[in-house]
Amino acid sequence: MGLWTLLKSGLILDIYFFKNNRAQLVSMFAWPYILLTLMLGMGFLFGSAETFKSNVGVEADPVVFFVASTLIAMASLSVMWEVGGTVLYHRWIGTLPYMLIAPYRTSVTLVMSYIPRYLLWSFMQLAEFVPVLIWREGLVGGLSDTLVMGLAIVVGMLPLLGFAAIFGSFLLTIKEETNVLSWLNPIILILSGAFYPAYLFPIWARFLSILLPTTYTFELARLSSLLGAPKLAEMTFLIAVLLGMSFLYNALSFTLMGKAERRALKSGAV
Amino acid sequence: MAAENLRKSYETYLRRGLFNREKKVVEALKGVSFRIYRGEVFGLLGPNGAGKTTTVKILSTLLLPDSGKATVLGYDVVKEAVEVRRRIGVSLTVEKGFFWKLTGRENLMYFGMLYGMDGAELKQRVQKMLELVGLEELGSSDKLYEEYSLGMKARLSIARALLTDPELLILDEPTLGLDPPSARLLRELLIKVAHQEGKTVLITTHNMFEVEIVCDRLAIINEGIIVAMDTVDGLKDLVSEEITLEMLVVLPARVSLKQLREEISEVVSSRVEVDPTEEGTRIRVVMRPLEKEQATQEMLRRLHSMGCSVRRIEVKEPTLEDVFIELTGGK
Repeated sequence: MGLWTLLKSGLILDIYFFKNNRAQLVSMFAWPYILLTLMLGMGFLFGSAETFKSNVGVEADPVVFFVASTLIAMASLSVMWEVGGTVLYHRWIGTLPYMLIAPYRTSVTLVMSYIPRYLLWSFMQLAEFVPVLIWREGLVGGLSDTLVMGLAIVVGMLPLLGFAAIFGSFLLTIKEETNVLSWLNPIILILSGAFYPAYLFPIWARFLSILLPTTYTFELARLSSLLGAPKLAEMTFLIAVLLGMSFLYNALSFTLMGKAERRALKSGAV
Repeated sequence: MAAENLRKSYETYLRRGLFNREKKVVEALKGVSFRIYRGEVFGLLGPNGAGKTTTVKILSTLLLPDSGKATVLGYDVVKEAVEVRRRIGVSLTVEKGFFWKLTGRENLMYFGMLYGMDGAELKQRVQKMLELVGLEELGSSDKLYEEYSLGMKARLSIARALLTDPELLILDEPTLGLDPPSARLLRELLIKVAHQEGKTVLITTHNMFEVEIVCDRLAIINEGIIVAMDTVDGLKDLVSEEITLEMLVVLPARVSLKQLREEISEVVSSRVEVDPTEEGTRIRVVMRPLEKEQATQEMLRRLHSMGCSVRRIEVKEPTLEDVFIELTGGK
């Protein structure tokens, strides 16, 4: 009995879901393009690609820039929503007690069984964008962009898992049926610089921005659209920060989840 | 499995307007102790809110007791929860607890993996469980869970509890809400699992009939206290001070009613009524439960030696429901 079967259980659950929910599969493929089209469409309403470049202040192709942003925004939201809200989901459908009696720590069960879903969804969506990236950047440029985005997805996931599990542990202890992250997510996205660059924020907001792993994930994603310029040192720095944050947030979530589980088992919140 | 002096209180809040609330402490268990032996089917019988589910959740490692100790197969449910989890199969509700958009088989495959099983072993075990609970026979193994009837859901819940081949099965009201054929099938299944596969089973219910059929021993719990624990017969004896034996006999012409009454009165210490009816003579004897067997045999021997033929014999004992109502104060 090992963590491998736990990972596999998460994977097989998604495969079964896709098999039995074709509409979900279709919408998963369609959604990133819908979002991208909307973002680009709105962008071009306000000006040309050149205007975009001058507004953003970088020499980036707007399509590639938004592909990267879309992917990372969706992947980040997915981790925070799914891991943070998984306790609620299982409570609603009545599977929570059966998840908790799995012979692992609760934090391990909730996080590990989610990882395959995240990787499966994110890489399927990344694969979807490969033709667009090749069209915009050429074969080598497109593939290297894909590689960096893949790296951002994987490295960005690590701290987010712990970060989201902290909220998951909070939901485990309270008896109210509210996913805190549903209203916290937009704030996190704003503070992470998903919509406006963080340097425009007031000091207190910049401080919060530094603490959020999503800030670095977005930055990493943006870099992938700027690979034409030599930004490898910056990328390495961001990856190092994300790995450090992974350790911090996962250690914190491991401790907090243990406490939350104990509190939930004491109060009868399961 | 042993529970020793388990105590558990919950804090609940009564809403008083939009922002105010009043804290209330509910004592769910007030020192519950019992022991279940290997291979036994043990019933925990009690009215709603008696503490059955709280007890079951503590034993399943899903709730921490405030005080007291519980061990499952020698492992402490608090300190060695993971070891306990490896050895138990649990069914807490029959109407939910599965993924609606997965089939019964897919649900079992997922939970099997979650509980550490894999590969051919898991596939075979899932197939075996689907056959055992009759879902395969119904052709429902590969139907989506959302299309299941309550009876099918209950079967799938038992199949999941049995999936890892646990030594102890903990089932919280497994037949609640089921129609009679489904409930019957489930009871038969439980008896089969307990006796053929040698599983120890803890079942909670407030269905008296179910307890009489399925359980080797039972405990009656009321307001967080075990009020009685024994076999079904033992509990009946506990509450009844007397039982009634009724016989219909045909007397030979030489035996008078007076002779018959005197003969029977020598056997039992209490009241004897002898009345002639159209069918024959009705004898009604009220006796203590302890003298039931010996007195009945002696009466039959004497009736036989007097040349009487016994047409009908009926013992009127208290039902388990009488026991339950008496011990729980009519709840």
